[in-house]
Amino acid sequence: MSTVVRAEGLRRHFRGDAEPVRAVDGVDLVVEQGEAVSIMGPSGCGKSTLLHLLGGLERPDAGTLIVGDQAVDRLSEASWARLRRRTIGFVFQAFHLVDQLTAVENVELPALLVGTSRRAARRRATELLDRLGVVDRAGHLPDRLSGGELQRVALARALVNEPLMVLADEPTGNLDSQATGEILQLFAELRDTGQTLVLVTHDARVAATAERLLSMRDGAIVEDTRLDGGLPQQTLLAQLAGWEA
Amino acid sequence: MAAGRLLVGLAWRNVRHRPWQALLLLLALSVATTTITLAMALVDVSDRAWDRVSQATHGFHVDAGDEISPDMSPAQRERVRAGLARLGDAPGVVAVGGPWREAQVDAEIDGVPLRLRVEVRDAGPAAVDQPLVTAGHWLDDREGVVLEDGLAAAAGLRPGDTVTIAGQRVPVRGAALTVNVGPYPTDQPAWVWVSPATAARLGTALDEGGYSLELRLADRDQAESFADAHPQVNDTWQETRSETATDIQDLAAVFGVLAIFVVVLTIGTAVILVAGRMAAQIRQVGTLKAVGVTPGQVTCVLLVEYLAVAFLATAVGLAAGSLLTPPLARVTDVLAVYGAQTPPITWPRAATAFAVTTAVVVLATVRPALRGVRRSTLRSLASNTRPPHRPGRLVRAITGLALPVPVWLGLRGANRRRGRFLANMLGLTVGITLLIMALALHTGVEKLRQQGLSIEAPDAISRAADIANQGRVSSLGFTVAALLIALALINATVAAVFAAQDHARNHAIMRTIGATPGQTVTAFLVAQLTACLLACGFGIPFGIVFYESIRGGILDPIGLSALTYLATILATLTLYGLIAAIPARLLARRPITPQLAYE
Amino acid sequence: MREAMLALLAKEPAHGYELRQRLAAALGPVGEVVNPGQVYVTLARLERAGLVRGVQVAQSAAPDKKVYEVTAAGREEVAAWLLDSSWPRVAQVEFHLKLVAAAGTGLADPVALIDAQRRELMRRLRDVQRLAESQIAGDDGDGVLLLEGSALRLQADIRWLEACETRWTGRTR
Repeated sequence: MSTVVRAEGLRRHFRGDAEPVRAVDGVDLVVEQGEAVSIMGPSGCGKSTLLHLLGGLERPDAGTLIVGDQAVDRLSEASWARLRRRTIGFVFQAFHLVDQLTAVENVELPALLVGTSRRAARRRATELLDRLGVVDRAGHLPDRLSGGELQRVALARALVNEPLMVLADEPTGNLDSQATGEILQLFAELRDTGQTLVLVTHDARVAATAERLLSMRDGAIVEDTRLDGGLPQQTLLAQLAGWEA
Repeated sequence: MAAGRLLVGLAWRNVRHRPWQALLLLLALSVATTTITLAMALVDVSDRAWDRVSQATHGFHVDAGDEISPDMSPAQRERVRAGLARLGDAPGVVAVGGPWREAQVDAEIDGVPLRLRVEVRDAGPAAVDQPLVTAGHWLDDREGVVLEDGLAAAAGLRPGDTVTIAGQRVPVRGAALTVNVGPYPTDQPAWVWVSPATAARLGTALDEGGYSLELRLADRDQAESFADAHPQVNDTWQETRSETATDIQDLAAVFGVLAIFVVVLTIGTAVILVAGRMAAQIRQVGTLKAVGVTPGQVTCVLLVEYLAVAFLATAVGLAAGSLLTPPLARVTDVLAVYGAQTPPITWPRAATAFAVTTAVVVLATVRPALRGVRRSTLRSLASNTRPPHRPGRLVRAITGLALPVPVWLGLRGANRRRGRFLANMLGLTVGITLLIMALALHTGVEKLRQQGLSIEAPDAISRAADIANQGRVSSLGFTVAALLIALALINATVAAVFAAQDHARNHAIMRTIGATPGQTVTAFLVAQLTACLLACGFGIPFGIVFYESIRGGILDPIGLSALTYLATILATLTLYGLIAAIPARLLARRPITPQLAYE
Repeated sequence: MREAMLALLAKEPAHGYELRQRLAAALGPVGEVVNPGQVYVTLARLERAGLVRGVQVAQSAAPDKKVYEVTAAGREEVAAWLLDSSWPRVAQVEFHLKLVAAAGTGLADPVALIDAQRRELMRRLRDVQRLAESQIAGDDGDGVLLLEGSALRLQADIRWLEACETRWTGRTR
């Protein structure tokens, strides 16, 4: 099993009012292929910044970062962009789709950037939308889609180039409970296919789809637990029944 | 009251937050006010300069004269003089000047020979046509000559210098203005006035000439009928005035109309500036409404911001305009001479400039502000753009072409958000119209100068003065052209910066999915250059039409060659590409994540 | 209640009335509901079970009072109680008492207890969700609804634990 991400001593500071804010303060992290990792923590703990660092949306002030087999902390903006196309898929809380493109055009965009032919990109995009259950909205502009549909389109866009890992930043933050449930289901299915996932969330249910939980506080990882190896199903059901009673 | 202070505080904070927007608006409005001030000054000068001098000199209403010849006896001469003087008793006459001896003589100034018209005057003051002294002083009992102001300026003569009149050296006592004749070298020969002592010395040189009489009537509008009734009358004041003032009145008309166009086009730029702020303003409007600020107060905040800028711009424009007026007003010797009597700033002019600027600002601000205010609060808070159009046939056609992704993205983006694209294009059209007008104006004025130079001048001095005049015409044309180009540049910068800001979010999104900054900038530039090209297509015809409508009878029809148009298009595309690339690159260099966050 | 009283006694021996007061202080407004008589009954039971020992203490100006102190067995029971993190049995009030007791006795770090409990609940949540996923595949509507309910409750409890952690982290610093 190969390592998807290896970070050592990642640091990212912001200029604050009085003194620099240490958003990420010396984080070491290794994510293996096929792992699903969730990162939780109170507001301002730096989990979103860590995710942005992993995906190259921010540059670390110090530390090393290896994505796949490429050291990326020294890469130029353009090289990082090219790497990002093939290896990383982003899902954001606010969806961040391009307003003027239809759903399917949004999804095929990364494929086109990689150099896929127009036809092949369109085909792949449509397939993905179908898999995620929104293919009937393919020709619509984002302002016509509901929150759940938008996030599914965003997820399809993240998957179109078969990325090394999918990074999700509060993916259910803007969704109602039903849409949240649907997205949870999708992430679970994604995890089951072996896709490497890193989820940043404050929703325990989203975090529970992963089998590894990281807790962050004040820019550092304070806990790294495995969530699998739980109770046998029978015991669980019995306990739940007892609880209800 | 607290609400008022809050609103002013908000307005001030807005300006500080985005100072360059206020700065650009200030620049655009300043250029406009400068042009307006200049135009108003020129109109003012030409319109009333003649009247001012006429008033100051008790100018004539009718001008009469009779000739004498060298072979006449003194008695005969006296009969001619008396006959002319009797005209002064005619009904309707309230004041008489003269009769005065006058003659044309040969003279020499600094070795240059020229003809002068000499009039013999005493210390005065005359009841009609007492020339207005502009240098030195008027004649007295001593010997002396007072030169017409234009001649003094052209020949560089000052009180104390000497000129040779009919072989006699005569000291110069001063220079003066009269409305009886236009200034040298427009009107030739130049007029001079000599004292009786000098006249005695000149003796027979004055024998070939005549007597001149100037009258003021009770009702000056009767001048025409008076002239018809009395054959000795040569000119009425209306004739002289129109001869002298026509040229500059035409020029003034040109600049007046130009000023109007500039104002209209500045409104275009200001509207773009203000409308571009609306996206951010609307959210603020929503927030303010949500906390209970009334729509009227909200509009006040916006107006306060922009009116402050308008006030500043007026001040700048008035200052610049009044600085520019004296050198530029000397565009013809007539203006130079008469215009010197015109004050550079007057209250009416200042008020007009401020009124115009305020109107521009209010027009540009109020409508989008009202629209933002009327929208529901929630909608304002939630969104900031109108949804783009559905894809159409044009899109599929563009998609069909095998273009690189950034280019095709840029074109499609432009097509989808047609409203924004058109607004941008419109803005650029304004700029290109200004550019064409600037070029045409400059070329036309240059041609005028060349034509002026080709007229034969009778002596070296007038030739030199003519050249200087034409040079001034040329500078005026150049200055106005420069102002127009400055406005066009500001306009282009505004359009580019707002377009770049508009695209910032999409840039950030594209970068998260792996587009390089170069690609996102390319997509943006493609859309911008397309807009610029289309703007050229509209702007050039508009520029031609506008120039034709303002050139009056003075300037030639537009004479720009096809090569010039081509060069203009290429230069505009290149320049605008550069202008647009800068904000685009700056935005592309910024870190991605802050741009993705809500404002 | 039983274990909480044991823990309070483990911190410092007390007689019945004192213990009642300490309990009320730890519970806050919730303590008003506690039946006063219950304290004495529970003390008697604990003594019979050999977890506490009653000692007569002579007082100068008052009749003798019985002071209770924990035995070694009692101390073991307290430790086991503190470290037990099975949730369905542990309700909010009891967990809160656990934290108070842990802080008071110094036997465990309250923040560590919270973290451990949270880990447990997260694991439980994950299991519930996996169960729900497989049920969804089998298209059993009602069963899924029940599991969904459990998941939501677990999520709520986890949120409460996060709040506890924030509060208790500040306190122990």
